[in-house]
Amino acid sequence: MKTRFSFSNATRRDLLRAGMYGVGVTAGALPLPLFAQAGAALGAQGKIDGKILVVLELSGGNDGLNTLVPYGDDAYYKHRPHIGIPKKEVRPIDEHFGFSGGMAGFERLYKDGKLAVVHGCGYENPSFSHFTSMAYWHTAAPNSGEEYGWVGRLADSLAPSAPPNFLVNIAARQSLAVRSRKHVPVVFDDPNKFTQEKFYEEKEILDTAPAPKTVENPSRKFLLETAQSAKDASVLVREAWAKYRSPVDYGITGLDLPKVAALIAAGMPTRLYYTSYRNNAFDTHVYQNDTHKRLLTYASDAVNAFLTDLQRIGRADDVVVMIFSEFGRRVPENVNLGTDHGAANLMFVAGKGVKGGQYGAIPSLTKLDPGGNLIHTTDFRRVYATMIQGWLGLHETRELLNGDFQPFELFRS
Amino acid sequence: MPPRAAFLIAAMLVACSPPALAQSAGPAKWQNDLAPIGPADWNYDFAAHLLERAGFGGTPEEIQALAKLTPAQAIARLVRFEGIDTSQLPPFEHSGIHDAGLEPFPPTRPAVTDLAKEKGEALGIKVKPAGNRRLQPIVDEFFYWLRASVLETNRVSYWWANRMLTSPRPLQEKMALFWHGHFASNEAKVRDYRKLLGQLELFQQKGTGNFRDLTVAVAQDPAMLSFLDAGVNVKGASNENFAREIMEIFTMGVGHYTETDIREAARAFTGWNYVDLKFVVNKDQHDDGEKTFLGHTGRLDGVDVIDIIMQQPATADYIAGKIYRYFVRQDLSPELQKQLGAVLRDGHYEIAPLLERIFLSRDFYSPASVGTQIKSPVQLAVSTYKKLGQKNIPGVPDFNLSTSALGQQLFSPPTVAGWAGGQSWITPGLLLERGNLARDILFPDISFLPPDRYTGGGEVRRVAERIRQGMDISTATKDDAKVGDVAESNKNADRDEEFNTRYGSFRGSQLAIQRVKPIPRDTAQINLSKMVLDAKLQNTTQVVDHLIHRFMRVPPDDGARQKMIAFLNKDLGTADIAVAQTYMEDSLRLVLHLIMSQPEYQLD
Repeated sequence: MKTRFSFSNATRRDLLRAGMYGVGVTAGALPLPLFAQAGAALGAQGKIDGKILVVLELSGGNDGLNTLVPYGDDAYYKHRPHIGIPKKEVRPIDEHFGFSGGMAGFERLYKDGKLAVVHGCGYENPSFSHFTSMAYWHTAAPNSGEEYGWVGRLADSLAPSAPPNFLVNIAARQSLAVRSRKHVPVVFDDPNKFTQEKFYEEKEILDTAPAPKTVENPSRKFLLETAQSAKDASVLVREAWAKYRSPVDYGITGLDLPKVAALIAAGMPTRLYYTSYRNNAFDTHVYQNDTHKRLLTYASDAVNAFLTDLQRIGRADDVVVMIFSEFGRRVPENVNLGTDHGAANLMFVAGKGVKGGQYGAIPSLTKLDPGGNLIHTTDFRRVYATMIQGWLGLHETRELLNGDFQPFELFRS
Repeated sequence: MPPRAAFLIAAMLVACSPPALAQSAGPAKWQNDLAPIGPADWNYDFAAHLLERAGFGGTPEEIQALAKLTPAQAIARLVRFEGIDTSQLPPFEHSGIHDAGLEPFPPTRPAVTDLAKEKGEALGIKVKPAGNRRLQPIVDEFFYWLRASVLETNRVSYWWANRMLTSPRPLQEKMALFWHGHFASNEAKVRDYRKLLGQLELFQQKGTGNFRDLTVAVAQDPAMLSFLDAGVNVKGASNENFAREIMEIFTMGVGHYTETDIREAARAFTGWNYVDLKFVVNKDQHDDGEKTFLGHTGRLDGVDVIDIIMQQPATADYIAGKIYRYFVRQDLSPELQKQLGAVLRDGHYEIAPLLERIFLSRDFYSPASVGTQIKSPVQLAVSTYKKLGQKNIPGVPDFNLSTSALGQQLFSPPTVAGWAGGQSWITPGLLLERGNLARDILFPDISFLPPDRYTGGGEVRRVAERIRQGMDISTATKDDAKVGDVAESNKNADRDEEFNTRYGSFRGSQLAIQRVKPIPRDTAQINLSKMVLDAKLQNTTQVVDHLIHRFMRVPPDDGARQKMIAFLNKDLGTADIAVAQTYMEDSLRLVLHLIMSQPEYQLD
C-alpha cells in the first residue's frame, strides 16, 4: 500500500531520464516539500516532487465584464445601461477595473499580489455553443474533434507510466478535460461515499479488483479498468477526507476546493486536479445581476479560502489555481437584464507563487466583432502553456496544445 | 403460463446452459445489418435483450412470455402499445401545495423583495403596514414554494419510477425517459413541479408519435419555455437561447446552421410565452417581419421554423442516431446513421416505425449491440427492482437520492443537453456507489431519515432549537459556527433588514414539510429463498448460476463465479440447499450483493 502514496523509484527515475520532469527549473528552485505532518498522518513514506495545478472551471459562460468591471470605460455603461455595475458598487483594483461587489476574496488576493488576471482570452472562430466551446477548452483544440482532454494528455506527458492517483477530477461525471490515453483519472464527488460498503464476510472478494484480462466487449473493458482505479484511490480519498478539519470559512459553497485541500493535506501524489462550478451555473441570460453577483461571491470566497487553507496546511508554495469559463458573454446586455453567449473572456491564476497583476492586452469595448462580442487578444492556450511550462516545468508543449504559445512570465522565480 | 411453470422453464434453461452462461447474440456479421431477424433466430436471450432495452428488463416469466411470440409480434407488443389497458396505473396524486398569487414566480429572492417594496405585495401576500420585518411573510412564502416544489417533484419522480416498474407498456416510459433527457428541463430552473409533470405527460402521450408534432408541442410547453427563457424573447430584442438550443440540441446538432440562422429563428419565436400552465403568443411582442432562415424567406413564425428544420436532412439523421444510441449502442457508423435517418425521413418522422425497424434488425442482436450498454442509474435501479419481482418502488432506499448519487436524478438533468450517457455514467466513485445501491436494496438502512420529513441540515436544526428556546430571530439565525474571517456570502446571509433570509429559508422548509404528502417509506419485499426453492435448485453452484442468469446480461468470468460459489458454500456451511433451506436467506442476499457489485452487472 505504501508505495501508492508516491511514485515508485523506478517511475521517478524514468521520468528524470526522459527529461520530462522539472525541466527548466533550477535544482535549487525545485521544491521538495516536507510532509512530516501529512505524510505521518497517512503513514506515507516517500515525498512528492513537483508542483500541483488545480483547474477550476466556471461552467455556463461567466460574464467577465461584470466580474472585473471596466468601470473606467464609458463604453461599458453604454453597452450595459441596466445591468452595468455602477462605479460605487465595484471593488476597484486600479483606475480602470474593479471587481464585482461580492468579490472581497478576489480583491484581497489581487491586493496581496497573489492573483493574476489575463485579459481577452479566446480563440479564432469562436463557438457560441456551451458544449462545443467547452469541448475546445477541454481539449485545447479549437475547431477540432480531439478525443482526449488537455489535462489528460498533460498527465500522459508528465507521468507516462501512469502511476495511480496522479490525476483527480472531483465531479459527478468525468470531464472531457481529464480524458487520458494512459491514466484512469480518479473521479469522485462525495468523498464519504467513495467507498464500497461491505460486510466483513465479503471483504475478501470485494477488496480484490477483478483480474485484468483481455475482453472484447469495450464497455466491459472500460468497467474493469475503472474498477481497478477505484480500488487504488477510494481508501486514500476517504481517509484524507475523514482526517481533514479546517477552520477556514469557504463560504456558502466551497465548491470542491475543500476536498482538494484535504487530498493535498493528506499527501496524495496527485499533481493535477480538475474541478468545476457545475451545471452551467454561469449561464445568465435573464435578470443576471443578483444571481451573477452571488455566484461570483461564492467562487471568490472559495478560492480565497482555499489559498488560506493551503497556507495553513503548509503547501501554499506548491499549488496554483487556474480559473476559466468556456466563453464570456455578449458585450451589450439583452432586454431581459441578462447577457447572451459571447466570446473572449478573462482567465485568472491564483496562488502564492503567482506574480499578481494583469496580463494580456485589454480587448476593446468599442471595436467588437459583428455579433457584438469582445475580440480575443490572447489565445487561451497561452495561459495553458504558462501553466505547463512556467509552473509544471514541462517545456515541450507544441504537440500538447496543438501549436506554439509563448508563456507569460506569471510566476515568482 | 402459470408462474410456477415459467420458473421451471427458466430452471431448465439454466440447467442446459454451459457454466459460464455465455451470452446469446447473433453472428458478428449481423453488425450494421438492418435486415430483420426471423422467427428461427428468436430465443429467450434475444427476448431478454429486447425487454432490457425497450423496457426495464423483466422477470423470467415476463421474458418467457415474449420469447413465445414471434419476434415481430414481441416487438409490436412493446412498440404498438396503444391498445394495452393501463387503467390500473394511478394518476399522480397532488398534495395541493400551489397557492394563488405565486405565478408569475419571480426569478430570485431579491426580485421578490424588490417587487414587494414597489407594489406593496408579492406572491399574493401583502407587505405588513408597520412593525418588525414587514416583508418576512413574503420571504417565507418564496422559500416555501422553492422547497415545496422540490419535494413535490420528488413525488412525481416516484410516481414515474413506479410506472416504469409496473406499466404494461414499458416502452412508453422508456421513451419518455429518452425525451426527458433529450428535451431536458430541470426543476432547479423551472421551479414548478406542475409544469414538469405536464411535460412528462406530454412525453408519455406523444413519445412514440410524430417527432415534428412533439417538437412543436415541446416548443410550446410551459416547462420548456420557462427553462430556456423563451418567455422573454420579444420583438426588437430577441433572446437567442431558445432558438439556439432548439437547433443545436433538439433537432440538427451543430454545424448545420449559422449564427444568422439562430438570430432569425429567435425572431420567429418572439412573443411565445406562457401564463401559468398555458402557452400563449403575445401578438404585440411577436416580430411579424420578414425573416430568412436556412434559405427560406417569409414572415416566419416558430412553427414555420420547426417545419423548415424538419426539411433538413441533418435533422432526421441526428434524431435517428440519438434514438439508436439510447436503445442500441454508443458507436454508430455514419453509414448506418444515414440509413436510420432515411427510415425516419421516409416515415415522415413517425417514431414507432423507426423503433420497430431497430428492434427487429439483425444489428440489434449482433455481438456489438448485446450486453455492451452501460445502464443508466434509473435503468439500474428500476431493472433491479423488476428482476427482484417488486410490485412498487420502495421508499427505502430513497429512489431519488440513490439515482442522484449515481449521477441521474429525474427532473434534474445537469444541463440542457441532458445526460451524456454511455461511459460517462461510470467513474471510479460511481462504480463503487452502484454496489452500495444494491446493498441498500438488499439490506435496507433502517436508520434512514427521509429528507421530505426531517430536515437534518445542521443550520436548520440549530435555528429551530434556538427559536424554540425563545430567542429572537436575529440571534437565532446568526451563523456563529465560523471563526476568523467570515466569507462574504455568510456576511450577506446574516444581514437583517426588513426580512431575515435565514429565517425565511427555515420557515419555508417547515411549511413545505407540513403541506407536501409524505413518500411511503416501505422497503423491498425480497424472498430469495423462495426463488431458489421454487426453481428447485439443489446446490450452491446451481444457485449462483441461477442468480447470474436471472440478474446479469453479461456474466462475470469463471474465476469470479467460482469465488461466489466458494463464498456461498462457506457462508452456508454446506453446498446442499436441502440442508441450508431454513437459514439461507441472508447468505443468498450476500451473494446477490456480490453479483450486483460486479462490473459486469452494470451492462445490459
